[in-house]
Amino acid sequence: MKGVIKKISSDPLGLIGLCLVTLMVISALGAPIFAPYDPIQLNIMERLQGPSVNHLLGTDQLGRDLFSRVLFGGQVALKVAFLTIGLALIVGIVLGLIAGYGPAWLDNSIMLLFDTIRSVPTIMLALAAVTVVGPSITTVIFVVAVSSIPNYGRIVRTQTLTIKSKDFVKAEKLMGASLLRILSIHLLPNILGPLLILASMDIPTVIALEAGLSFLGMGVKPPTPSWGSILNDGFSLIRNTPWPIIAGSIPLVLATLGFTFLGESLRDLLDPKLRKLL
Amino acid sequence: MKFKTAIIALFISVFGLSSLSTFAADVVKVRTYSDLKSLDPAFSGGVFDEEIHGLIYSKLIQFKPGREWGYNLDAAESIEQTSPTTIDFKLKEGIMFTNGFGEMTAEDVKYSFERIVDSEVKSTNSPDWGPLKEVVVNSKYEGTIVFNEPYPPAWTIALPYIVGNIISKKAWESVDGKVGTTTPSVSGPYLLKEWQPKQKTIFVSNPDWHGGKSPLNEIHVIPIDDESTAQLAFEAGDIHYTRVPMSSVENLKASPPANSIIEEYPSLFYVWVGMNVENELLSNQNLRKAIQHAIDVPSIMQASYFGAAVPSTGIIAPGLVGHRSESLVAPEANIAKAKEYLVASGLSGDIRVTLDILNKTANVTTAQVIQANLAQVGITLDINLHESGAFWSLGDDTAGDRYKDIQLILNRYSMAPDPSYATAWFVTSQKGVWNWERFSDAAFDTLEVAAKSEVDNTKRGQMYQRMQDIMENSGAYRFITHEATPVIYSNSVNPGFRPDGLPLFRYFSNN
Repeated sequence: MKGVIKKISSDPLGLIGLCLVTLMVISALGAPIFAPYDPIQLNIMERLQGPSVNHLLGTDQLGRDLFSRVLFGGQVALKVAFLTIGLALIVGIVLGLIAGYGPAWLDNSIMLLFDTIRSVPTIMLALAAVTVVGPSITTVIFVVAVSSIPNYGRIVRTQTLTIKSKDFVKAEKLMGASLLRILSIHLLPNILGPLLILASMDIPTVIALEAGLSFLGMGVKPPTPSWGSILNDGFSLIRNTPWPIIAGSIPLVLATLGFTFLGESLRDLLDPKLRKLL
Repeated sequence: MKFKTAIIALFISVFGLSSLSTFAADVVKVRTYSDLKSLDPAFSGGVFDEEIHGLIYSKLIQFKPGREWGYNLDAAESIEQTSPTTIDFKLKEGIMFTNGFGEMTAEDVKYSFERIVDSEVKSTNSPDWGPLKEVVVNSKYEGTIVFNEPYPPAWTIALPYIVGNIISKKAWESVDGKVGTTTPSVSGPYLLKEWQPKQKTIFVSNPDWHGGKSPLNEIHVIPIDDESTAQLAFEAGDIHYTRVPMSSVENLKASPPANSIIEEYPSLFYVWVGMNVENELLSNQNLRKAIQHAIDVPSIMQASYFGAAVPSTGIIAPGLVGHRSESLVAPEANIAKAKEYLVASGLSGDIRVTLDILNKTANVTTAQVIQANLAQVGITLDINLHESGAFWSLGDDTAGDRYKDIQLILNRYSMAPDPSYATAWFVTSQKGVWNWERFSDAAFDTLEVAAKSEVDNTKRGQMYQRMQDIMENSGAYRFITHEATPVIYSNSVNPGFRPDGLPLFRYFSNN
């Protein structure tokens, strides 16, 4: 781990990414300690204030401290990002392995399922899901995870198809190794690297998607703070104060930059061939 | 080089001339919130169509611009309520329909009004004429409007509004009654010159208008859905008038755009929190009353309406018959009383209720204030946001069983300047249609029928006040506001507005 961090730190963009991601994780996890106010506590008399010593990023239309809401909004973003990608990764790996290693008819069926999912725009899927079950963080996780599964599933399938025809896998089979052993010992470790790179690059996309859904009112329920809902409030109040828009945008930009830089650095580290190609 | 100079000269002349025409004194550009749908009064889509109909058609009477409700004579030389069920009118002589369709007669009035209630025409606006029986033609210019029963709203929502527009019988018959976005004939102050879908509708002065010269040579009606966008268009000098968002009022007053005037009018819309009395939890009247008393309306006015609106006392706005000067439950929250009702409800532990709202910023803000208010008395509120399509089918009991799950709902209805237009949606027969609270009260239903045909305004007002008392006493309603209509216009324009701030474009003129 120390080695990985050292190598990432040697790359300036990787170092920036690592710092930003660390800052985001610490501020989100430590939100209850760092936030000066309760993020849902209303104080209408202090609404729409600009930045001050009392309110570092000002207040929203309900007088809530924007800095505190941004910190707690980070919890939502991280929760959605990690749970979504974790879920999509697990389901994608299982389906990808089955598709790649299983019979042709099963492969075709799973590919058809992936194509079907990919053909539905995420926002449309979200709208349909929200209409049926209502907006919530669970709905967001479900929608984004379902949309992301084909990305991971396809990579796992391709890697599995490549590896399963290798001599060492054939030798294992001849020696009577079980399917579970072949998959877990030989296939999975070989495909995990590209998957982790993809997952780290996907985190900013998922964070932006969650913010987008919350911006549209299809994400977390009020009064839970989310960067998207802060942006939405700011959008309608832009003529009154720019601070909610600024408060909602900054963490989104920093999170996107941080995870992208870190992901690229990780990719270079785990897949030097790719770096040469690029 | 010569070519370059020629191009520049051409550019200057084209754009210079076009901008000159844009700011020509007699062209006034006004914003409306939706594009033209139909030029047939029988199928008018609502206010946005009526704003245009008012420019090109005549009515017996027109709404008078100003701060108090009233009317001016238009096509009528005289008009009078001669009995509780009859209105006599006499047309001005010499009102000409365009395109050679001749002079307006009482036959045209008869045709215009009766076709609205003709079941074969299937007019979407037939309810506005209520119990209209017929229009009797007494002479070329005189007639009598006859109702099956007294119908006072005729003076407020029929004669001066959508269904009061008079069309040419001959013209309509010449096109088999099929009129869409073009019209065979008009008689108002302006002529329709051109409709550019989603862009603008252009009107020019009608030289044959019976009122003399129209106030403007040309008026452009520009559809802009979003008020903030419309405000931007105004600030950029693209339009001379628009309604602006309530959130902008404070800033606009503090630093108004150059050469502009901002005015605020009370709106007729009504916003309230309804409670489904048939829901298992909300069937407890004491719980409903606890919620009523816990909601702090002044906080909502500040947070959601930026102080530009005031709390309402019911569903009937100030200035209309039946308006209550005070509500039974004060606008301010009374936490102690709310807690008393909560104890009386017999409920304990974690009381959770849901509030369904349309996904709009003001609604989300209001909902969060209510959430905080209810938390003070120990009620947890979950906010359910819905998109427009899903929201407007929530209470419809023909669209599935979702109406049963409604507990609290934040709602906003539009309104015409007659109290009957407000109360009609809360009768028992409207359960599952527009009455999403599923409120039912025999006395309310009886009063609703009686008030609609009561000709004595004092008695009528008392009836509507009593009906709002019944609604509020049921605990199923917490009245929030009538909102407000802030408008901005260029000081080069002299506008005309109804008392609720809706524009009367036919009265717009240049200063």
